[in-house]
Amino acid sequence: MARSKTDILQGTLALLVLRTLSSRGSLHGYAITQHIQRGSNELLRVEEGSLYPALHRMSQDGLIKGKWGITDKNREARFYAITAAGKKALAEEEDAWRRLAQGVSLILNFA
Amino acid sequence: MSWIHRLGNAFRPNRLDAELQRELDFHLSEKAEELAAKGMSPSAARLEARKRFGNRTLAQEEARGMNLFGWLDSLLADVRYAMRSLRASPGFASVAVLSLAFGIGANTAIFSLTNALILRSLPVNHPEQLVKLAMGSPDNDTFTNPLWERVRDNVAPFAGAVAYAPSGFNMSKGGLVRRVPGAWVSGDFFRELGVQAVAGRMLQVSDDHRGCAPTAVVSEGVAQSEFGGASSAIGKTIPLEGKTFDVVGVVDPRFFGLEVGRYPGVYLPQCAQQLMYGHDVLDARSRWYLNILLRPHAGVTPEQLDARLKSLAPGIFAATVPANFAVGQQVEYRKNTFSSYPASNGMSQLRSSYSAALYILMAVVGVVLLIACANIANLLLARAAARQREIAIRLAIGAGRGRIVRQLLTESLLLSIFGAALGVLFARWASRLLVGYLSSDTRTVWLDLSIDGRVLGFTLAVATLTATIFGLAPAWRASKVQPQAALKSGGRGMTDGDAKQRVGRSLVVAQVALSLALVACSGLLLGSFRKLITLDPGFRSEGVLLVNMHFKDTGLEEPARAVLQGQLLERLRHQPGVVAVGASLITPLGNMGWNESVAVADFGASNPRDSVSYFNQVSDGYFAAMGTRLVAGRDMRADEIAAKRPVAVVNEAFVKHFLGRTNPIGRTLRIVTGDSLGIPREIVGVVADAKYQSLDEKPLETTYLPLNQGDPGLEDLNYEIRIDRDAAAVVPAIRALVTEANPAISLEVATFSGQVAASLARPRLLATLSGFFGALALLLAVIGLYGTMSYNVTRRRNEIGVRMALGAARQQVMRMVLGEAGRLIALGIVFGALISFASTRFISSMLFGLSATEPAVFGIAVVLLAVVAGAAALVPAWRAAQLDPMDALREE
Repeated sequence: MARSKTDILQGTLALLVLRTLSSRGSLHGYAITQHIQRGSNELLRVEEGSLYPALHRMSQDGLIKGKWGITDKNREARFYAITAAGKKALAEEEDAWRRLAQGVSLILNFA
Repeated sequence: MSWIHRLGNAFRPNRLDAELQRELDFHLSEKAEELAAKGMSPSAARLEARKRFGNRTLAQEEARGMNLFGWLDSLLADVRYAMRSLRASPGFASVAVLSLAFGIGANTAIFSLTNALILRSLPVNHPEQLVKLAMGSPDNDTFTNPLWERVRDNVAPFAGAVAYAPSGFNMSKGGLVRRVPGAWVSGDFFRELGVQAVAGRMLQVSDDHRGCAPTAVVSEGVAQSEFGGASSAIGKTIPLEGKTFDVVGVVDPRFFGLEVGRYPGVYLPQCAQQLMYGHDVLDARSRWYLNILLRPHAGVTPEQLDARLKSLAPGIFAATVPANFAVGQQVEYRKNTFSSYPASNGMSQLRSSYSAALYILMAVVGVVLLIACANIANLLLARAAARQREIAIRLAIGAGRGRIVRQLLTESLLLSIFGAALGVLFARWASRLLVGYLSSDTRTVWLDLSIDGRVLGFTLAVATLTATIFGLAPAWRASKVQPQAALKSGGRGMTDGDAKQRVGRSLVVAQVALSLALVACSGLLLGSFRKLITLDPGFRSEGVLLVNMHFKDTGLEEPARAVLQGQLLERLRHQPGVVAVGASLITPLGNMGWNESVAVADFGASNPRDSVSYFNQVSDGYFAAMGTRLVAGRDMRADEIAAKRPVAVVNEAFVKHFLGRTNPIGRTLRIVTGDSLGIPREIVGVVADAKYQSLDEKPLETTYLPLNQGDPGLEDLNYEIRIDRDAAAVVPAIRALVTEANPAISLEVATFSGQVAASLARPRLLATLSGFFGALALLLAVIGLYGTMSYNVTRRRNEIGVRMALGAARQQVMRMVLGEAGRLIALGIVFGALISFASTRFISSMLFGLSATEPAVFGIAVVLLAVVAGAAALVPAWRAAQLDPMDALREE
């Protein structure tokens, strides 16, 4: 089962995180991994070791914003939310991804 | 995220770390809980969560690496590491730091002198706006008072105009002279330049008018020495040249007038010349002594300014034609026009005589620093070889090569920063010493040597540059280390062959070449200096006192004054310890000159310059006292002088130029003034050529007239007194004698040899410093050669051992090492000779009696370098030959 899981392509992690945050509002890191894994029917696996560096890079770039909060289990966690700049970046990334996917599938199907 | 935030992150790495820690902890516990919910035991779940997370430290580090200033952290680590590794080898560190301190310090010292003398702006209001008025060329920048007054009264085209004339004043009444440097200034001078008083007030326009009261502004130094402080000076009086001036203010100590190199103690209004020198001095149309600075209106371009000056000039010059000029000269005078030149850094005689010398010294110390850099690079190379193992280990456990280079460069930079810090201290001391060197008994040089931004920037740039020069090669080489090979070879440094030594060898060749160039340069300068001090100047300066006497305050006029002067001559001759006495208007090499056109029968001058002779007025016995040889005829007699008989003595150059081979005795000469001929004067004697203004001049045609004949009046007279004992034993008696003769006479005592030495200040400075730096360069090069050869011998121990075991004789081993050294030296000498031939012509203007490529000097330099360098190579060669092959091989 572990074999069929796909490691996330370099650079798409940001796209997935942004998409997750834009649809689900504010989430902590663990919830983000959960959402991506479940939302992809366990097809995608988030490399946890690279998630946090990615989150920090994105908050330094102003795409997301981190804030300490309390989970429903009453524990402290850092919640991330998408910013306006993040939404703009998301639209661009989505567009780019779709074109890439379209191109790749065209080649796979007809070449 | 704003940059402020990032900056904040950089300085709060701990908080950031802690947050990240908590975030990761939370993640792991959530994960563990999830796994436990699926049925794992809590401890197994925790373990599994960690396993799945992967390298937690790496994640943490990666997140932290995003701090903008994360590199700051690693820089600090580099610095700490570099400090540790330098502390571990204190010998190397102190040698490197000290030689850098010396090299950078010498550069900073010469630069701060250059800065103070040439680059720095005057400490006045907007110095960049100031322009200097001149006539045609920037050196032609002195004006008469009538010209200045007309410029001042036509000032409308300018925002401001000031006049300045350096001078010196005697502060005592009778007895020994106390001279204070001073300046004449126009009334608007201080206001226009924005110079404030620290006590009282500055001179102002109302102080400077015809018939003005005697007012003065003094420096803090004069206020302190004469009145005990700035505030107590106000309202007091100060005697200057026998006249009494009211002190109205004390000037800001940062201000030093307009002439860089002097520090006036007294400023007097221009109009007060009348009080000091007589009623018509302000109208004298042939006294050229005033500098004029203008401040153009804002927005006026240099072209516009020039046009305005050109339109002003004809009127001003037409109104100030000197009456005594010949008709032709008057026409020439009217053709004069004004030009202007930037004057933000003021005027300076010192600058014009020393700037070329300073540039030469700057180049010399730059080369010395380069040689020192090569030495340190060599040391670092050897050190890098020894540290191969350490570097290999660091590479093996994952250090990036860039990181290693950075770390080694940090070490170099640290060395040069320490060197620069020490160097600045050294420079402060050395530049003061140099300024002292420029001063003489008669001229005190003052320069503002405070360290400003420009000097600091220079030092910093030099330090960084040197660190890059000596640090780059070793760092680059270290980054090439192959960890496996280096670790396997057991740190013996035998891994890579000859290529590695190439850098070290090239450095030695460069050192030898550069030091040869410096040795050749200093050889030329020393040779010139030797020629200057050993040439026959036409007089013997040792044992001659120069006593300058001022008769103005005696109130005596001709002929009574001349009688007193003659009596003094006689009385001095009877003084114990005095061998001979003469008196003259001018003393040789004393910065004073007098020339006139002369007319001699049968001599047709091809151009006006051709008929010029230099002049002096002398007493009987002058030539004997000076040790100047009489070649033909006789000396003037005292009774001739008293009777004002028109006689003259000329020198050999005069005879050669004006009279040719005919017998000069009995011929006559006349002084030509304007359109008129003076009285005929009979030549009664011929003397040997004697130096007049400087030791390096060609023989000047010179005419000696009897005292008190000719244009300049003799209110001041120099007595030349040849003595046969120590000056200290004779001077008090001379002073007493003069005071007894007339207490109103004031006098200055100096030695003639001191005056001769002062005239040699520049060649002596150049010879001394270049000699010192040349020797230093040689020493550094020799150390470099010795170090490289010793290192090579150590490195080749095994090889030499094998050679000897296989039957090589000790002489062969020695020859092998010496041969290698010889090749390096020979190559260095070839390059050095080329550099020298290309560069010594830049000092040709400083040479006397030697050409810039004097073969003898070059030959001596080459031999000296070869011998000294060869001697340095002998030691390692001998050591190689003494090697015991058994010992060397047993180590294998």
